[in-house]
Amino acid sequence: MSLSLILRLAWRDIRSGEMGLMLVALLVAVGTVTSISLFVDRLQTALVQESSNFLAADRQISSGEKIPQAFTLAAQKRGLEVAQTLVFPSMVFAGDTNQLVSVKAVDQGYPLRGNLIVGDVPFARGAPTDKVPEPGTVWLDSRLFPAMNVKSGDLIEVGLAELKVARVLVAEPDRGGSFFDLGPRLLMNLVDVPATEVVQPGSRLSYRLLLAGAEDNLEGLKEQLDLAPNYNWVSIRESSPRIGRALDRAESFLLLGGLLGVLLAGVAVGLSAHRYAQRHFDHVGVLKTLGATPKQILYGFLSLLLLVGSVAIVLGLGAGALLHVIIIELLGNLISVELPSPTARPFLLGATTGLICAIAFAMPAFIHLKDISPMRVIRRDLGQSPASRWISYGAGIAGSLVLLVWYTNDLFLTFWTLAGIAGVSLVFGVLANLLLRSGRVVGMQAKSGWRLALAGLQRRRSENTAQILIFGLAIMLLLVLVLIRTALITEWRSQIPENAANHFVMNIAADEVDGVRQLVEKRATQGDFLYPMIRGRVIGVNDISAKLWQDGLQRERGGSRLTSERNLTWIVDPPESNAIVEGQWWAEGTVAPQVSLEADYAKSWGISLGDDLQFDIGGQQIMAKVTSIRTLEWESMSPNFFIIFSPGALKDFPATYMTSFFLQRSDKRFLNELLTAYPTITVIEIDALIAQIQEIVAQVSQAVELVLGLVLISGCLVLVASIQASKDSRMSEHALIRALGGSRKLIGSSLAAEFLLLGAFAGIVAVFGAELTVGILQSQVFNLSASLHPWIWLLGPVAGALIIATVGLLGSRSLVDTPPMMVLRGLN
Amino acid sequence: MSRTVVRVEAVEKVVPTAAGSLVILDGIDLEIKQGETVAIVGASGSGKTTLLGILAGLDEVSSGRVILVDEEISSLDEEARAKVRGLHVGFVFQSFQLLGSLTALENVMLPVELRGDTLAESQATELLAKVGLADRIDHYPRQLSGGEQQRVAIARAFASAPTVLFADEPTGNLDTQTGDLICDLLFDLNREFGTTLIMVTHDGRLAERCARTIAIAAGQIQA
Ligand SMILES: Nc1ncnc2c1ncn2[C@@H]1O[C@H](COP(=O)(O)OP(=O)(O)O)[C@@H](O)[C@H]1O
Ligand SMILES: [Mg+2]
Repeated sequence: MSLSLILRLAWRDIRSGEMGLMLVALLVAVGTVTSISLFVDRLQTALVQESSNFLAADRQISSGEKIPQAFTLAAQKRGLEVAQTLVFPSMVFAGDTNQLVSVKAVDQGYPLRGNLIVGDVPFARGAPTDKVPEPGTVWLDSRLFPAMNVKSGDLIEVGLAELKVARVLVAEPDRGGSFFDLGPRLLMNLVDVPATEVVQPGSRLSYRLLLAGAEDNLEGLKEQLDLAPNYNWVSIRESSPRIGRALDRAESFLLLGGLLGVLLAGVAVGLSAHRYAQRHFDHVGVLKTLGATPKQILYGFLSLLLLVGSVAIVLGLGAGALLHVIIIELLGNLISVELPSPTARPFLLGATTGLICAIAFAMPAFIHLKDISPMRVIRRDLGQSPASRWISYGAGIAGSLVLLVWYTNDLFLTFWTLAGIAGVSLVFGVLANLLLRSGRVVGMQAKSGWRLALAGLQRRRSENTAQILIFGLAIMLLLVLVLIRTALITEWRSQIPENAANHFVMNIAADEVDGVRQLVEKRATQGDFLYPMIRGRVIGVNDISAKLWQDGLQRERGGSRLTSERNLTWIVDPPESNAIVEGQWWAEGTVAPQVSLEADYAKSWGISLGDDLQFDIGGQQIMAKVTSIRTLEWESMSPNFFIIFSPGALKDFPATYMTSFFLQRSDKRFLNELLTAYPTITVIEIDALIAQIQEIVAQVSQAVELVLGLVLISGCLVLVASIQASKDSRMSEHALIRALGGSRKLIGSSLAAEFLLLGAFAGIVAVFGAELTVGILQSQVFNLSASLHPWIWLLGPVAGALIIATVGLLGSRSLVDTPPMMVLRGLN
Repeated sequence: MSRTVVRVEAVEKVVPTAAGSLVILDGIDLEIKQGETVAIVGASGSGKTTLLGILAGLDEVSSGRVILVDEEISSLDEEARAKVRGLHVGFVFQSFQLLGSLTALENVMLPVELRGDTLAESQATELLAKVGLADRIDHYPRQLSGGEQQRVAIARAFASAPTVLFADEPTGNLDTQTGDLICDLLFDLNREFGTTLIMVTHDGRLAERCARTIAIAAGQIQA
């Protein structure tokens, strides 16, 4: 066929709406993928940046020893930004007070990611700065001001150096982690460190080289350096496993969502292409009698598909970009992170998706057209051979496979999604067929509209089975997405509940407990538990001195020692965020001293269940047997202890206490009041850290909601396409009924009944499928505990019935309104 | 003696059905010369449409030979048969079979365009004028009555100047008066173009206007 003829036919088809649904379906496929990946692409980059704040860098190299100059040079050679920090504990003197602080010395480059927040008044909100303390000056945590009774401009002594207090340090990006072992922070310039002379061989030092730059340069450096075991390569995933996990899951979800969106759009493309082809059987028959060869037909319709596909891709890319801009605009005040500009990848992804959709889902239908017999023109009943249907299913599945593997880069996810869909289709094809059969028995005595509907459903049973499957699949995929989304967001939110304790108070003397509690209860929400805290250290293991035991391990431990003084506690019940992995927690009323150790701690010191530990607590010695090993959520925002004693063991030692509470941002001045009243207590603020985590969770949740919305659109499109596809056969039947005297009302009610039944059946299929898939996905992909969702069991069928009846009736309004003669004459 | 345009030798058509194979055409021999007008008549279900489809190269035979304008179409594949149809065959159907998305004029120009040539618009307009639709050339089929649609179909059939024109009950869907009009047109144009006309019909009066009548019963030609 000549190009002009093809163009003319295409234009006519588009104008008359014949091509419309396919165009829209392709457009939605392209648009969905483009906008999702645009958004995800940019959000991911933004999230990675945001979470990089927790490291103040993209990566760190940490060690107890000085980081070799060679590392820095190698990093700079790769165009990476670098900065150095050194953290060590030290006694600080001001006038006649002294205080143990955690000193952090930094160079000019610090921090590479995130900001230091500083202020001039303790316990007030600060502002971000891009500077670090000038040489000769220090910035102090708010709580050090009352504790040491200093103000800005005073001099303090750090080791042998005298440094001037300049500003209040409100927050530092990489403060998170195990904040309970840290004293209050003192930030100083790295150039002042030699003058302090505190850095001696054997002191507890933590050196860090901060790195930032392009991902491949970072990975390249890691490979090049091939770090010895005494240097640690730290990325966000290791340093903040919880945030890493949240990001991983969000990524999986967005991937899954995008994938389902594409699949649904693909199905819609396939359905509308088949309808288009079916409506052109006669058309092709006529062309063939006029001398069009199969080749001409093939090339003609493929060019037409190419044309429509190109138009859809161009429009889809535009729509995707527009949608993305609108979303960013809508979320503008919610997303505080500056989104980096998009890459070409999303557009490439969108265009390729459109192409693959066109080839795998639409093309088979078009290819069949060449095989239409010209005899069709004189004998209408010549349909499509069943073999060709399998070809198009095959192509559709192959196309999905290519699309999914390419899109997700994840064979596991793809395989199980497809296997799930195939399995569900098979089982529920049979189920749907049975449901349709059972309708007959019930339908016998039904009112006429219902009888008509049931008769129709029975007559086109295979067609309707397919339709129930498609409806069911669409509803199922949406349910899966809704359920997973709900599970994920609930889980994220539950990790940091609203009003979770965001301040900890330590060093409360026994006689201060009541006073502190009253003050806290008056001004803040009190945490529910007061832990006793007793300082003590391990001096022996199984009658061997701890020093000898430690030397026997020959392990480089970056400054940390077995004999270091630690916070000990005793409690009756195991803490909630802890899990016993070995041994048993003590029974109530245990008298013999027992201890429970944290798993990593026990492992790194070579201590196992049944060992006897000897402690020195305030000069007194005590023996205790290790009776359990625990793992704990380091980042659960509750106190964590390496060593916990059974209640009887430490009861008689003088203890201080710790508690936690929630404080609104606006009430921060309360801390000043508290510390003035009880100058010896220690307050640890983690509100900034919590806010940071909540921000990330909120953003990820939004991305998840967005994907859900887009996939919903694809799902609706499938419904419309599927209803459209079945319209022709319904049309001729209903026209006949009208011609035979059926009222419009009868047709309307029979259609409504038909769609209600189809929808309800589809809902039942969907609920089964969704429960199955969600169960597998939750346990295999998202590592959440699987559970059933009884609330969807009724909702699924009811919502299915209502939605499909609504869409169906809207879609076939013309069917009720068309005069029967028009239909019989075959003009449309 | 004018040349043979259609020759059929021992053609059989058997189709498989649920109840075993069904013989539709059972040993047909037939020869039709250039310029003849032939009516194929017979009871409903006797195999007329099947025979017409085979003569025109729309359908395949189960056995036997069919030669259409010097081409043995029974041994050609669909690709080649389509080319033969494009070159030598015109059709008029009972149900008109115009393309709904094209105007009357475009429908008439279609066969020539498919052949890769272009028919001057003036020629197509002239053909439409001949069938009395000069003022309806830009109308779409749905805007035309049945008789008018059939007239467009006739104009389209003659547009490619076919050697043989096949018609399957061309007046079957029309009232008697319109049918007569269509009939007149068909024979007038046939005479003007010197086409061979092979027509399946129920209509006795239509059959009478043809020079030759072939009667079919149960898939065989009646003497
Ligand atoms: N593809 C087919 N499969 C089964 N039966 C067929 C097929 N084609 C034609 N027939 C049967 O062959 C007989 C002749 O058909 P046809 O040629 O259309 O008859 P006519 O046009 O004379 O009414 C009819 O009984 C018809 O049902
Ligand atoms: Mg017939």
